[in-house]
Amino acid sequence: METNGDVAIKVVPVRHVGRWFGLAGVALFIAMLVHTTLYKVASAEKTCLTVDGVKTCHGVLVWRFQWNIVGKYFLSSEVLHGLLVTIELTVISMIIGIVLGMVVAIMRMSPSRILAGVAWTYTWFFRGTPVLVQITFWAFIGALYPHVSIGIPFTHIAFAHINVDLSLTTLDAVIIGLGLNEGAYMSEIARAGLISVDEGQIEAATSLGMTRRQTLRLVVIPQAMRVIIPPTGNEVISMLKTTSLASTVGVLELFGAVTNISATNFKIIPLLTVASIWYLIVTTVLSIGQYYLERRFARGALRTPPPTPIQRLKNDLRGIASKFRTRRGIIEVAT
Amino acid sequence: MTTPMVEVRGVRKSYSGVEVLKSVDLTVNRSEVTCLIGPSGSGKSTLLRCINHLEKHDAGELRVDGELVGYEARNGKLYELSDKRVCEKRSHIGMVFQRFNLFQHLTVLENVTVGQMQVKGLDREKARVKARELLARVGLEGKEKHYPSQLSGGQQQRVAIARALAMEPKLMLFDEPTSALDPELVGEVLDVMKDLAKSGMTMIVVTHEMGFAREVADTVYFLDGGIIEESGDPRQVLTTPSSDRLKNFLSKVL
Repeated sequence: METNGDVAIKVVPVRHVGRWFGLAGVALFIAMLVHTTLYKVASAEKTCLTVDGVKTCHGVLVWRFQWNIVGKYFLSSEVLHGLLVTIELTVISMIIGIVLGMVVAIMRMSPSRILAGVAWTYTWFFRGTPVLVQITFWAFIGALYPHVSIGIPFTHIAFAHINVDLSLTTLDAVIIGLGLNEGAYMSEIARAGLISVDEGQIEAATSLGMTRRQTLRLVVIPQAMRVIIPPTGNEVISMLKTTSLASTVGVLELFGAVTNISATNFKIIPLLTVASIWYLIVTTVLSIGQYYLERRFARGALRTPPPTPIQRLKNDLRGIASKFRTRRGIIEVAT
Repeated sequence: MTTPMVEVRGVRKSYSGVEVLKSVDLTVNRSEVTCLIGPSGSGKSTLLRCINHLEKHDAGELRVDGELVGYEARNGKLYELSDKRVCEKRSHIGMVFQRFNLFQHLTVLENVTVGQMQVKGLDREKARVKARELLARVGLEGKEKHYPSQLSGGQQQRVAIARALAMEPKLMLFDEPTSALDPELVGEVLDVMKDLAKSGMTMIVVTHEMGFAREVADTVYFLDGGIIEESGDPRQVLTTPSSDRLKNFLSKVL
């Protein structure tokens, strides 16, 4: 606590009147939101009662958002299985995307023109065509290439005919499609990270006698991670939802599973709500993971790491508590 | 007679048409300290960078410890060395940079062990023992677990010197090691360098510290516009310069 000699300074803090109005506005909006999501409306179904020979009918009150149906399907085996497939698709395609992106980014920066050119062309093609088209293409690759032969292009000379069935399972097709597409985006993210590392770091590693590969692995990539992780987190979250495109080729991931159910019972909105809540839950978990990963790779870049949300919450609560204590006129003893 | 540590004969270097080094000759004997002085843009740093092949020279002959830098002469032809051989040769030459260039993501100790482990193939324990010894030598005991960003400039530069020494180099190159430091931190780095000179290390130092050059250097080379204008014993060169250019330069820096 700031002290002037032995006497603590007494300060009247600045009043932020605007903030109170803002708080009132937000409170009102939240109340409206709670009201509308929990609002009950009369359903089309009618129940009739006959009392003393008089028959009265009225609609049953149900939630506008049909939370009872949301609850019924939220943990159903179809939905949970779909969720599992969604997570599987996200994880595998992101691993393919990140590894591919890193390799392509390094190729782009290679002194070899051929490697750089191949990398550029890959990114150009897979970033330049819709991912939905790519998924569909891989799903039907077997129809496009019934036979495979290895030979000299534009001649009939062939070294080998392979009569393999190229058709992939739809799940594999989706993974390849998403992974290759993601690799193109990740390569640009990785490249941004690699070129963000100071030239002096590379010179220092070189002067120690490290090879190009050692320099990349030990010095450049670890420092590039700081720049690469935030947009990669963004990509993971984006991928989580892009996997819903798999439903177009018949993969029953989360979105496919709920549309499948709603196709039979016509409860479209509650089932989309089920899917949305699950997407939100997974996104939240991913965001938390990203936060701690960023902290890990910020080592050395910041003198003091930022507080974790839990530490921040503790500090805030402590601050509020001490405020109340001083408001009530209790003299706080500085420790 | 032993071969000199560094021999530079008629070395030239241009960047996109601008000739930065115009036929430079220089000899550095073993256990000697050589200072390169001169105005900025005179080619001092470029010459230093050519010596450990961070830059390729365009013409002339450059030898370190009797061996050509970056090339190999066989049957009257020059063959470019593979990257691996170049790296191996570089590992015997230590370099200290103006802006320290410590690895930001590694602790002080890791900065000093990484080269030993990855390039020289030492195991972790041996590398750590050596690193602690060197950090003590540059006066940084107890800072092992710090990250470079938590140290002052002078401390960072001393870690950089320890990092270079960990490779047990036969030659140390210093590229304006005190130019990025606050004035009160220059002394601690120069003291470490003086100690190193006393221990018999062969050193080439690009510097603006004339006091250091006069006190420590065996030979001073004055570069201007890519040529060596004047060279010799520092007491003579720095006190009674013969060329007008050096007189002019000294009047500005002293």
